[in-house]
Amino acid sequence: MKFSRNFGLAFFSFFVVALAILAGAAIGEIPIPLTTFIKTLANYCFGAHYLVDTIDQKIIWELRLPRSIIAATTGASLALCGVVLQSILRNALAEPYLLGISSGAATGAVLVTIVGVGGGLFSISSGALIGGLLAFATVAFISYHSGRDNMAIILAGIAAGQLFTALTALLMWIYGDSEVRGRILDWLLGNLSRARWEDVFYAIPVLFISLIGFLSFARILDAFVFGARSAESLGISLKYVTFFLISLVAVITAVNVSIVGTVGFVGLVIPHAARFIVGQRHTRLLPLTAFIGAIFMVCADIISRILIHGFAIPIGIVTALIGAPCFVFLLVKRK
Amino acid sequence: MINTSKIQKILTATLLFTFASLYSSASFAGSTTYPLTIHNCNRDLVIPEKPDSVVTVGQNSTEILYSLGLADAVKATSLWFSAVLPAYADINKKIKMLNVNQPSMESILAQRPDLVANDLEWSIGPTGAIATYEQFQSFGIPVYTAPADCLYKDNLQGGDGLRTRPFSMDMIYLQIQQLAKIFDIEDRGDKLVASLKEREEKAKEEVRKLPRKNLTVVFWFSSAEADIDPYVAGDYGAPAYMSKILGLKNIVDLKNEWPTVGWETIVKANPDVIVLADMDRRRFPMDDVKAKEKFLKSDPILKTMTAVKENHLVTMDAQAMNASIRTINGIETLADAISKMDFSK
Repeated sequence: MKFSRNFGLAFFSFFVVALAILAGAAIGEIPIPLTTFIKTLANYCFGAHYLVDTIDQKIIWELRLPRSIIAATTGASLALCGVVLQSILRNALAEPYLLGISSGAATGAVLVTIVGVGGGLFSISSGALIGGLLAFATVAFISYHSGRDNMAIILAGIAAGQLFTALTALLMWIYGDSEVRGRILDWLLGNLSRARWEDVFYAIPVLFISLIGFLSFARILDAFVFGARSAESLGISLKYVTFFLISLVAVITAVNVSIVGTVGFVGLVIPHAARFIVGQRHTRLLPLTAFIGAIFMVCADIISRILIHGFAIPIGIVTALIGAPCFVFLLVKRK
Repeated sequence: MINTSKIQKILTATLLFTFASLYSSASFAGSTTYPLTIHNCNRDLVIPEKPDSVVTVGQNSTEILYSLGLADAVKATSLWFSAVLPAYADINKKIKMLNVNQPSMESILAQRPDLVANDLEWSIGPTGAIATYEQFQSFGIPVYTAPADCLYKDNLQGGDGLRTRPFSMDMIYLQIQQLAKIFDIEDRGDKLVASLKEREEKAKEEVRKLPRKNLTVVFWFSSAEADIDPYVAGDYGAPAYMSKILGLKNIVDLKNEWPTVGWETIVKANPDVIVLADMDRRRFPMDDVKAKEKFLKSDPILKTMTAVKENHLVTMDAQAMNASIRTINGIETLADAISKMDFSK
């Protein structure tokens, strides 16, 4: 009974997310008729042979669809990471980038593009991925040697973040000029136009593995919220669970930064919005957070592409611009 | 009676006509065979057939196409830093501007171009901000990138790329000739290159006549903030080429295009001439050429420089200071200004 209800809810969520993704592929900067859109889907999905302008067809299938899917996976992943970090650290301000990952990713991207580390062997994305993970390793190392409590992790994140930000600035100052600095900043500012099918093929597994991973720790996460003692009373080794979950968060965040750059707001605020709706129980909180994150990000992406004609606004600006008022509404209503 | 002179006239006219038509057919049509393969930016670029339409990403590529008389083929343009060359103002008005900055890939595709002419690999290139070469290729659209941005320049090693050899106008000449070849108008390309070379030679001559040799120069592009270290021309960009051609010495010998150098260094070097970039961009207060001049003349230390005291300041179009067809205009501006200055003090 309960299983079938959950299954029904999951199915319904998938359906809504899929609809949003399709809307993201149908709506774009240049107007493409809905009939062309439907024919394109029929051609690719069901092997139909409708005559469609090849360029329109490719715009829909090669550019917009992967972009829209990546928007959904990124939104869901970041929101999930936010929930888990907030619960583990029992800190309402925790967010995925707290672990120094975005700063480390920036350093990695700069090392690859400006300094030329790897001699063209690494792409800017893999540079960002490695940089992000290195930054997290630094955070893990510092917090291991400084008490291993919540405060240690948060402060280690701040220290590593500052360190890598300064390194990035130093490298840009030595090797780049004004234009380069602007360009790297653009790259970091969250940009979905780089999303391709290859990215989809590793973003989706990462999302589902993490969702299942986090869900299997749902009860422990519940216990964390009520304090470390109640978690220990479950008879689990806090140290290992914390390390495992935070590492998982770090990997997911680094993967997402390497695909789209840094997108603020989603990982910080969506978890709170979801808590307002379903409360603290992680079995419900985790799926709902992922769902809202995905829908929110896909909608933000559509808006970013059509708000100003001929000019895509960086997604990070849009998420905060529409997300903050929505969040304020929820905040006020909660009272 | 037959008028021999008349026959002669007719014969000469026929001969002339035949030669003329032979000449024109040889030069105006059919000298390029398609598919054409040219080596461009570390890859072999295949142009399947003569392009009818082109979208440009970058001002320099656009102005070169205009100079080649190909304005009709330009369907849309993007990424401009300053106003168009006055000679092409009317033509340019008719061309659609996709975006003054980086256009999106979708907006380029919407124009259905046969070719994209690209200024910078930053826009379209191995890690392009708009898209990669392969992505455009998957839509069947070849992308030609200005050789000045990738010849002896490694764009994978640097967002702006680090030149491994100084810029030279030969890169612009190569771009003109290759674009002319792509559009099957090679003779027009050759003529344009010849006229630019002639102007370069003339400017050289003008400076060669001057009594003072080995003048030193600094090119001030802009500064992020008023008092901060300025962006000046290094030894590898277009200004360095201007200096070399005109026999001047750039006081900055760093192997970058636009490094930041402390005012201290500049004051100490005390250059004979200071070139100030004039641009429409207003990202920084010092983008304005008047602000630069005012700053030089009011700062207690900077105003002690000989060039400031003697007013040996040259205003130059910023676009000429970037590797482009306008670099020639820059050479002329500089030669003109210097030949009118008095360096006897």
